[in-house]
Amino acid sequence: MIRLAWRNLQRNKARTWLTAGGIGFAVLLVSFAMSLQSGSYEIMIDSATRYFTGHGQVSTDAYIKQPRFARTIANAESLQAALEAIDGLTVFPRVQAFGVVSKGEKSLGGMILGVDFAAERQQLDVYNNVIAGQIPAALDQALIGAAMARNIGAALGDEIVVLGSGKQGSVAAAVFIVAGIVETGQVELDRSLIFAPFASVADAFYLADEAHMLVLMLNDLSRLDEIVAKVEAQLPEPLGVQTWQQLMPLIEQSIELDKAGGYLFFSLLLILVTFAVVNTFVMVLFERTREFGLFMALGMRPWQVIGQVQFEALLLSLLGVLLGLGLAYPLLAYLTSVGIPLDQVGGEEVSRQMQMGSMSRIYPKATWPSMTTAPLVLIVGTQLAALISTVRVQGIRPVSALRAE
Amino acid sequence: MTEFAENAKATAPVVECRGVQRIYQQDSVPVYALRGADLTIHAGEFVSLAGPSGSGKSTLLNVIGGLDAFDAGSVSVGGVDLAALTPAQLAQTRLHNVGFVFQAYNLIPVLSARENVEFILQLQGVASQERRSRAEQALHSLGLAELGDRRPGELSGGQQQRVAIARAIVTEPVLLLADEPTANLDSKTTSELLAVLRDLNQQQGMTIVTATHDPIVMEYTSRQVTMLDGEIRQDGGVAA
Repeated sequence: MIRLAWRNLQRNKARTWLTAGGIGFAVLLVSFAMSLQSGSYEIMIDSATRYFTGHGQVSTDAYIKQPRFARTIANAESLQAALEAIDGLTVFPRVQAFGVVSKGEKSLGGMILGVDFAAERQQLDVYNNVIAGQIPAALDQALIGAAMARNIGAALGDEIVVLGSGKQGSVAAAVFIVAGIVETGQVELDRSLIFAPFASVADAFYLADEAHMLVLMLNDLSRLDEIVAKVEAQLPEPLGVQTWQQLMPLIEQSIELDKAGGYLFFSLLLILVTFAVVNTFVMVLFERTREFGLFMALGMRPWQVIGQVQFEALLLSLLGVLLGLGLAYPLLAYLTSVGIPLDQVGGEEVSRQMQMGSMSRIYPKATWPSMTTAPLVLIVGTQLAALISTVRVQGIRPVSALRAE
Repeated sequence: MTEFAENAKATAPVVECRGVQRIYQQDSVPVYALRGADLTIHAGEFVSLAGPSGSGKSTLLNVIGGLDAFDAGSVSVGGVDLAALTPAQLAQTRLHNVGFVFQAYNLIPVLSARENVEFILQLQGVASQERRSRAEQALHSLGLAELGDRRPGELSGGQQQRVAIARAIVTEPVLLLADEPTANLDSKTTSELLAVLRDLNQQQGMTIVTATHDPIVMEYTSRQVTMLDGEIRQDGGVAA
């Protein structure tokens, strides 16, 4: 049966190669596009999470529901140490306070973020946007937003005063020297943000071994679920973890929207190819009616004849799939290693639209779904397409079919 | 040996048709292809069904072979009433007990001569090695031993028809039905092919029924049945 099916495919080589070529082209196109999507999503997620938010954050459940200054993580230092023992995970603490920032007679409301500069600058891209000065290296230094610096008239080396409310309601005060000015590109942040050393902010706001959040950074984002599970296993009540999907829901929503658009396009393409295959098998039925009549005259049952043609369809689709994957694999292997320069596909505009931050290249990523979706859909589609045509074999009468030209 | 074959050997006749009618609808007008045909064929006979085009000989052959249905009467082959068989049982009967030879050879063009002969054995579920051995034996018996690897397109008409006969006899059927087997052959090849059929009949005792309008064919058969307008008009020189 295999031999018969294979030789039947060779009867009309041009048609076989055209149909297999169509299947192969669809496999190549869909596999490549899905891999490109996967790669771009990975870059988008990585870029967004590495900018400022991190891959996840540990906070108290109450802080997650409504961030209030008093809702802190107790024993933050020991918890941080415990979490950092998890392979592939980096953890750094933050405190987040609000107060008045003054320079001379000018004052503005601001968000004071206590961070571990040494740890964060190795992981986060926001520190690459220091447009003047440098990242603070001493406990009395701060990094302030460009708009805030402008609005209060602060320049590098100037002294700024922060006044706020501490944990117990007492007045919190701190004085910092402007070591650097940062421009995040987000107006709201640039107008209100002050980065200062974690210890200084915690001390000024009367926090003892406390933090508002522990930021989680993973070496490999694909291990997110596994690592989050390990983190959760170590957390005492009432602490919880928020992943990037919860911290930045818009990113995930835009990815889902983009995926849906992609699936619609891929579906249309696969349906078109399937119709081409229907046409092929309608022709096969038309041309081989006499042969099918002979099969039945010799003693084959209609379902056996249909099975024979379905097997031919399977071989045809496998041929097309092999052709498509044979082209897709080397192309993706090459582009995965060298990347596609964004300036060749639309430059900064594309980069901005795809929220890729400072990324200059997009790297396709061949994943199991991206490489198997089109082949599986086309194999099943080809079987259905063939069945639509060959189901008519059931109506063939051997006597009439044997008279067919 | 199957029940069908046992019946055929043990109890003559092999074929028994009684009042067989076959009516086709042509533009809603009934056309009588068979008008109550009666025919009895015994084991070991070599029968020719002769008559002009439209006389009903091919239809009767198809009805006997279970390829076509009939509208009235009864047809029994090897003691089995064909009307009582389901389509699946009819297919099994054709596969195991009846060999067919067609006017247009009807070989599978993408298979070699040997593979064409093996094909029907494969449908029967015969093991690969036995298939090959039996196919080669059948081809050898028809003088085609050297041509087994050739495809139908590489064979002459006579050679193709011999391959078709090899395919029909390789299953050792109880009944061999041949519909105008020599219609596409020249007279020399026709004589050679008929000699093959006669040998099968005389040496192996195979029951053969052939539809023909070729007088040469009738010279080789042991019984001549003449049909006209869907009826048997003469049977072995005796008016029916």
